[in-house]
Amino acid sequence: MKLRLAAIAAGLAFIVMSAGGASAAAVCGEGTGQAATGEPIVIGAITGKTGPDDFSNSTRAAKAYFDCLNANGGIHGRPVQYMVEDDQWNPEIAAQLAAKLVDDQKAVLMVGNSSFVECGANADFYKKSGITVVAGVGVPRECFFASAIAPTNAGPRVSMLGAMGYALDQLGAKSVVCIGPNIPNVGSWSCDGVMLLAKEKGFPASTILIDQGSADSTSVMLQAASSNPDVIVLGMSKGSAVPLLVAAEEQGLNEKIKFVSAASAYDLSVPETIGPGWDGRFYVNMEFNDLEATTPDNQNWLAVMDEYGQKSDPRDTFAQAGYLAARIAEKALMSIDPANITRETAGKAVADIKAFESDIFCAPWYFGADQPRHNANSTTRMAVSEGGKWKVVSDCAPSPDPELADIRAFEKSAGITQ
Amino acid sequence: MNFLPFIISGLGIGAVYALSGVGLLVLFRATGVLNFAFGAIGAVGAHVAWQLMEWDYPLALAILAAVLVSTLVSFLYGRFLAPLLSYRDTVVRAVGTLALALFLIALMGVVWGELPRRLQFPTDQMYLTLFGVRLTFTRIIALVLAIVVVGGITVLLGTTRLGLDMRALANDRDLSAILGVRITRTETAAWIITGIFAGLGGLLLADLVRLQGTFLTFLVIPAIAAAILGQLRSLWVTAFAGLGIGVAEALLTPIDWISPYRSATPFVIALIAVMILGSTAQAALKDR
Amino acid sequence: MTAQNQTLARPMASPSAIRVPREVLVIPVVMAVFTAAVALLANSFWLTAATSAVALSLSVTGLAILYGQLGLVSLCQFALVGVGGWVTLRIGHAWHPPFEVSMLSGGIVAALVGLIFGIPALRLRGLYLALVTLMLAGGFQTIIGAWGFPDGGPGFLGRADGAGRAMLSRPDLAQDSVPYFVYVSIVATIGLVISQWHKLARPGRAWALIRKGEHVAIASGVNVLTYKAWAFALSGFLAGIAGALLAGNVGQLDGRAFTAFESLNLFALAVVGGVYNWYGALIAGLLLRAVPALLTDLGIDGYVTIGIFGVALFQALATAPAGIAGQISGLIARLTRKGQKP
Repeated sequence: MKLRLAAIAAGLAFIVMSAGGASAAAVCGEGTGQAATGEPIVIGAITGKTGPDDFSNSTRAAKAYFDCLNANGGIHGRPVQYMVEDDQWNPEIAAQLAAKLVDDQKAVLMVGNSSFVECGANADFYKKSGITVVAGVGVPRECFFASAIAPTNAGPRVSMLGAMGYALDQLGAKSVVCIGPNIPNVGSWSCDGVMLLAKEKGFPASTILIDQGSADSTSVMLQAASSNPDVIVLGMSKGSAVPLLVAAEEQGLNEKIKFVSAASAYDLSVPETIGPGWDGRFYVNMEFNDLEATTPDNQNWLAVMDEYGQKSDPRDTFAQAGYLAARIAEKALMSIDPANITRETAGKAVADIKAFESDIFCAPWYFGADQPRHNANSTTRMAVSEGGKWKVVSDCAPSPDPELADIRAFEKSAGITQ
Repeated sequence: MNFLPFIISGLGIGAVYALSGVGLLVLFRATGVLNFAFGAIGAVGAHVAWQLMEWDYPLALAILAAVLVSTLVSFLYGRFLAPLLSYRDTVVRAVGTLALALFLIALMGVVWGELPRRLQFPTDQMYLTLFGVRLTFTRIIALVLAIVVVGGITVLLGTTRLGLDMRALANDRDLSAILGVRITRTETAAWIITGIFAGLGGLLLADLVRLQGTFLTFLVIPAIAAAILGQLRSLWVTAFAGLGIGVAEALLTPIDWISPYRSATPFVIALIAVMILGSTAQAALKDR
Repeated sequence: MTAQNQTLARPMASPSAIRVPREVLVIPVVMAVFTAAVALLANSFWLTAATSAVALSLSVTGLAILYGQLGLVSLCQFALVGVGGWVTLRIGHAWHPPFEVSMLSGGIVAALVGLIFGIPALRLRGLYLALVTLMLAGGFQTIIGAWGFPDGGPGFLGRADGAGRAMLSRPDLAQDSVPYFVYVSIVATIGLVISQWHKLARPGRAWALIRKGEHVAIASGVNVLTYKAWAFALSGFLAGIAGALLAGNVGQLDGRAFTAFESLNLFALAVVGGVYNWYGALIAGLLLRAVPALLTDLGIDGYVTIGIFGVALFQALATAPAGIAGQISGLIARLTRKGQKP
């Protein structure tokens, strides 16, 4: 699908209207430049910071945006009180923190959530509490099959199938091996998608699920290579993907087999870490726009991070996700009466969003009111590792995930065009 | 199913287990303390080496710095902190090293974070090809280091005065003191030796596995299986057991139904060994 | 150990007396006060933290029996908590019996597994035993990581595929947070009382003899095998119940939270809390869940928390052999005996 110029134009117009200027200054809220002083609106977030990986860049970016918003008039004069908690990758703690934010702090929305464990731990609690979650980054299946949670990212399965689609169309793949983590609802979920697609299209595919705690990457690579696939698709986080790629390079597999990966391995540090042996050989799926894109909203994201974030906050896709989640929340909250912002009104406002446009997204985001699950971001791009950086190599394309059938049907019936 | 390539890849992971297992046991033979922090101490050194290489210092300096830092950490703990626990039972003294490991994890997490990094040595590019599998020189160096250290420590413990003092210390601290063994000096020497080994081992492990603080620290847990097979006594058996466990784990890869569980191989082998070897195990272990 | 001698050296009431020993009575009283204080004062966040802490204190009690009474180190106790949790969830989702039934099944299966784990231990001691149990914990870590915990799906593993994930329902009496906390406290109190009774009655004396030396015990007519096995079974049972209570707290458990390191951590904090007094288990539970919650609440970075724990662990090991509970009991002894030699 071609890049939607209308989306860019709309985004541009939105920004021009609210900024009144096209400089590199950060633009948020009403752009008044006056600090908001009304009664704070409490918004909560849970992120997995301490543990196998650090997902907190999403909430950091959201915080930067909310700080910018508060410095520019807030939500019709009311500032956002953004409370972020670290669940330390422990579902028990995630549940404690959800209780804290929802029951004790009386949050009206959860925005920018980015935790591996909290969707599963808290989805039911959020539903019962009637609170809506505009998550930044969702990973396990529970984040994409919960009625109260709508992530801004595409998800590991959709992303992996986006990569798979590219491999089929552009890399001439005729056989594939899928390597995923043996975490239920992540690895098997993603690789099942590949197997399903392979069955539909009629090419051989096999799956290898591995323990991310395993120290032996070489054996996995040998096993994957033993069936002589054209493409190996990875669904691992960057911490596990890098050792696998290192082991593959050690065995010379980078020269024989094409490697593609879901967006979980898309991080700015990866090309430099894996080195020149992978130039032009490792493709990764991107759930959002290129981090250095010069398009207006992307530039605004960078400007917000520069002016209101910390210098040390990584400007990565998690940050893009958090920024988008914060902007979606802002749009929803701006549309309601500031004197009547409650969990119900805020949730309804978010649910009513049918076309949130940003050039960071490939296609407009929507919530999907009354739907049992939310997965609006299902259009992705691809990049390749080149000279220590990522180089974008494709336009936006919808992910060929067969499981998206219900989503596509809803989009059609609701008149949402992607 | 072709198993031959997996024997070679098994030697690769086996080298990792052998290094860590011997690292755990070396200190145990010399002081009676099982060193849970072996991986952590090595990891700190590896991070220092990585940082220096990022700043474009030469490789030799980075390696030297890594070993120095690891040795320093080990010396500080062994000289000043470990003696505080010397009158507790062996498990509590091992838990003390666990406290050190936690502290080092925190240090690495705060300074370097959990971003995956790659530690590369020139020996990664050189390799032997056996059964279609490349065995890099780094892996061979790891194997050789494990063997050399085992040989060296065995010679040290068996023929030198210091070694004799160490064995006495490990056996019974109070009796050794009465007999005139200089406890502090012997212990400190043991911790320094283990620190040097941890530094070298840490560099190799960071290259072979991944440079990530928590991961390298908890690599000692499967390595304990090798130590158990050596019955906490024999360094040679530990080293070869480590290799064997690695090969066994790798050989399970092509077997589909068991492959997702194969990282449990060290644990299963250790338990089977315990069942077979039974209670003859800890004859040399005096429990205080 | 002075603290240990205190618990053993008190003269037992004669067998015909129906008076319950003071050491046992004090448990429900103290727990009642503690429960009331938390239930009335804590907000949601602290309530869930306290619920976890009390549940885990049960598993520490099991550890304390093995280590404090018999000198046997078990580094797989958290794995047994996981076993209990797994069975509770599986049975709960499959047949929806009353929570108590699922909980007891979890406890019983964990007791059986604890017994099986105990088989290699029957002839091992000290560090070697500890490492063997750590291997068991490692094996469990791999299996539970691959299986995950049951959440309402079909088959033996009981995994649902994303949609239709069920949460374990809490006991009928205690659906909300505060009642559930009180429920957990009551169950924990019962467990603590059972454990304390064991220490004061015949099993405790048998264990003390076994600890002194197995030959001594055999010569005194103690059936070493039975009592050791009983200790493992009881320890496993308490861990299983703890797992069931944790499962009920959140409604689910995550396979990645049951690593071998958690068992190591549990043992370390059990030693810090104190294994010779019943309240050492409660202190350990609070250290495991409440103190990290406090540090998180204060906004301290996760890694710094780990560092603080490492330092505190070492400090506690070096300066308080009987743990924090030992120091408290020493203080109480000094205050109550007023000048008499301990």
